[in-house]
Formats: sequence, structure tokens, C-alpha cells
Amino acid sequence: MFHLITGGSGSGKSAFAESCILDFQGKNRIYIATMFPFDEESHVRIQRHRKMRKEKSFSTIECYTGIVKLEISPDADILLECMSNLTANEMYQENGAKDQCVPQILAGIDHLITQARNLVVVTNEVFSDGRHYEEETEKYLYNLGRINCEMSKMADRVTEVVYGIPVRLK
Amino acid sequence: MILVIGGAYQGKRAYASEKYDIEEKDWTDGENCTEDDILCSRAVYNFHIYIRRQAESGIDMTKLAEKIKKKNPKLIIVTDEVGYGIVPMEAMERTWREACGRVCTVLASYADEVIRISMGIGQKIK
Repeated sequence: MFHLITGGSGSGKSAFAESCILDFQGKNRIYIATMFPFDEESHVRIQRHRKMRKEKSFSTIECYTGIVKLEISPDADILLECMSNLTANEMYQENGAKDQCVPQILAGIDHLITQARNLVVVTNEVFSDGRHYEEETEKYLYNLGRINCEMSKMADRVTEVVYGIPVRLK
Repeated sequence: MILVIGGAYQGKRAYASEKYDIEEKDWTDGENCTEDDILCSRAVYNFHIYIRRQAESGIDMTKLAEKIKKKNPKLIIVTDEVGYGIVPMEAMERTWREACGRVCTVLASYADEVIRISMGIGQKIK
């Protein structure tokens, strides 16, 4: 089962995604962390998420690019967080997929669906502030938008979390 | 407690006024009110601006939702959803968005009803 979860900033996506993984009642919970700790604020955010997961016995894999290469055991329930970071990493990091970022990431998602028992992916609604950005940022929005659309086609279930309330979209 | 949320200019306050029979004098404006105003009024709008003012003054808001629940549990809150864009470059902008999300998530957990408005149409999500 592939469950795609989206929502705005501070909407409670992570807490909801973790509860979804717990509902699978599996024995092997894996958290794929994609946030590259580049400054103090990201460290704080990472610590906050670590604390949330501590009691829930997740093992963590830090993976900033190339999820397609991960080897996953078939009994794993995977939580990948978050697609907005992974997309930025693939676009901007030295060993990222650059122009191939969209097909690479989608191949990676397909790979995880095939390998794992269940997959939950957290992505991010960053498309509705009515602003127009510089070319690079627009390209990022375009790529993440495409990835989200393709993932929602692949997903068995899609949920938007609004202030902690799950609103089912598919 | 009731939360009425949605994007800017979607008719949230008009919807709430009509549905919950709120008169103009009953509304508190988050743009210029105090915490006490919020804690003793029937309805507040521009709640996201109130959060912004607090964030700008460096006021901690972790207890705000709880305080509202305790002192004004019937409050009707109208707020813009502001967390749906690219993460802003300015730290203050990030703090504000994040605080809006966190405070409203706790308020939503206390609320009897959460209505999301788009183009004047309300969708009850809780």
C-alpha cells in the first residue's frame, strides 16, 4: 500500500504520517530522512522530528539523493519525509540527478513500492502563495508539482492534512 | 469552539456571520486586538494577523490555544491559511507561518467544528 500525504507548513503532516505507519502494525519501521542539515534551523527541525519518532521505534536511514539505490527488506513499512527536500537535493546537490530529477525520483518511489510492505510519503503544498519566483525556484515548483501529480496516480490513498485533520483526496 | 479557515478573500467572515448569526459589533479584529479581547469576545477574524503581531514581538505562543480553550471555549475563529507557499527566506516569515500552523492545529483539535471556505463555499472537515 502506498499512501501519499500532503499539507501546508506546520499542518501536522509528520505526526499523521507516523500514526499511519503505526496503524500498519508491522515489525520493521523505517524512516527515510531526506532533510540535509545545512543550518541551525534544520538541526532544530530534525531534532523535533527525532523526538517524535523516538517512542515509535523507527530505524532511520539518512538519504539525501538516489533513493532508487536503497536496499529495503520486504517486511519494511517505510516513511519517507519529505519530498520537497528530496527534490531540492536532487536538483541542487553535487551528486543529485539535476535535470533527471523527476524521472529519477519517480523511479525511486516505484522501487520503494516494489521492495517494501508499505510506503508512506510526505510531500508539501508549496504552490498557493500566488507569487511568481525566479526561474530556478519556478523550475523547482514545476518539478515538485509533477512529482506530486505522478505520485498521486501511483498512490492507493492520498490525504491532505489540514491543521491536524486528515482530508482524504483519493 | 469553531474554526473557519481558508485562503484570503474567500468569504470566510461573511460565511461565519451568516451561519453563526454574528453581528458586526461581536467581531474582534486580529489586526489590532489584545489577547484579552480574544479571550472575552464571541468571534475573532484576522487571527493569522494576530499571530503575526505576536511573532513580531517575539511572544511565545505555545500556550495560546490552551488559554483560549480554557477561558473562551465557545470562540469562533476566522483565519487565513498561510502555510501553502515556498518556505520564505526571512526567518520572521518562517516563524509566523509555522506558528499559525501549530496554534491552529491545536485549536482544531479542541474545535467542535472546522470549516474550510473556498469561493464562499464551506466544506466541513471536522
